[in-house]
Amino acid sequence: MKEKKLKPKDFITVGIFTALLFVVEFACGMLGFIHPYVVASYVVLIPIVGSIPMMLFYTKVEKFGMITLMSVLVAIIMFATGMGWLGAPLIIISGLIADLIAKKGNYKSFKSTVLSHGIFCLWICANYFPVIVTAKSYRKNLIDGGYSAEYCDSLFRAINSKTIFVLLILCVIFGMIGAFVGKAVVRKHFEKAGIV
Amino acid sequence: MRGIYLDPRTKLFMIFVVSLIVMSNAVTPLEWTIRILLTAIPVFLLITEGKYASALRFTAMYAVSLILMRSFISEDSKGLLSALLVGYCGIVVQFLPAMITAWYVIKTTKIGEFMSAMQKMHVPDGISVSLAVVMRFFPTIKEEYGSIRDAMKMRGISFGGGKLSGMIEYRMIPLMFSCVNIGDELSAAAVTRGLGAPIKRTSAYELRLSTRDIAVMAVFTLSACLFIGAKIIG
Repeated sequence: MKEKKLKPKDFITVGIFTALLFVVEFACGMLGFIHPYVVASYVVLIPIVGSIPMMLFYTKVEKFGMITLMSVLVAIIMFATGMGWLGAPLIIISGLIADLIAKKGNYKSFKSTVLSHGIFCLWICANYFPVIVTAKSYRKNLIDGGYSAEYCDSLFRAINSKTIFVLLILCVIFGMIGAFVGKAVVRKHFEKAGIV
Repeated sequence: MRGIYLDPRTKLFMIFVVSLIVMSNAVTPLEWTIRILLTAIPVFLLITEGKYASALRFTAMYAVSLILMRSFISEDSKGLLSALLVGYCGIVVQFLPAMITAWYVIKTTKIGEFMSAMQKMHVPDGISVSLAVVMRFFPTIKEEYGSIRDAMKMRGISFGGGKLSGMIEYRMIPLMFSCVNIGDELSAAAVTRGLGAPIKRTSAYELRLSTRDIAVMAVFTLSACLFIGAKIIG
């Protein structure tokens, strides 16, 4: 535990939880195509549902670098599944900050875990980046590509350069709330089973 | 070994190009042609590997949503049904090409090959090991989820007994239990085989770029250039 360097075991742990996080993201992502407003509500859904694997992950984090590594993986997978690279800097920076915050609490203090999870959840907003940065051409593209104007209008009403700040803040807040939910679930199931 | 063997680096390049193209929407017929062509290549490769079922499934899904989208939905379609249709077809047409490619790569690349390719490209160990685990894990999660669903069915619990929280609790918690256990076994197995040893890894797979690889890369590069060119001019 005093060892500071990451071991293969840590890499594997990161890999597993990244995969689990993405299962959650995909499950929620499918809902988003029902209506654009659901896309905006990712900031609520994903932090809360995703917090369960994340909190279990946090109990396994003991060294600096694991959370950062996770954010790098998230960025790579986001790119490979066609979500673009515009959000990659945000994802990695928020991962790094989350890691630093958690490190401050020595990866044990619950207070810094809550804060750290809140910041980590900012990666969800990276999904919206293509929509905001290229708003004009993106809208045209969507319509030309066959989306109805109604869908586009609601999408841009929910997500634009004004609401992004609200969405970012919501991400952090619900990330923190999610941390409590996740912690409760982890305590209920995993601590009893002796896995943590 | 069946099928057309491609170097993992070629496959990674394929993913790169496809996701690049998938990101921007196709408008003109030329762009659509490139896009559909690029979608067809991984499907073709899947067929040569003998994975007929998944190739057929992907093709059918893609074709149906493409046709639906082009013929029924226009700029001024309204209402819930069309919103649903737009949503469904939109996601399929937008993301399926990338998913087919990723699926093909995951299904046909051995982890050993992948690691060896990553090492040749000088990717840090941390990223390559964790990525390899992620790649290996998606099929495992699917399998485990299937068993959990069966177990739930046997007890007569479907959809979490009608509760939303139950749905998460009854499915995700068991899934996480098994994943954590599998992870422990996996790391024990990997360490036994010398992962993380302080010397340079050697690999059982000799990776060499063949003419096939270069041809495939050329096709992809060319179509990417065409696509981007068409975007800039158009």
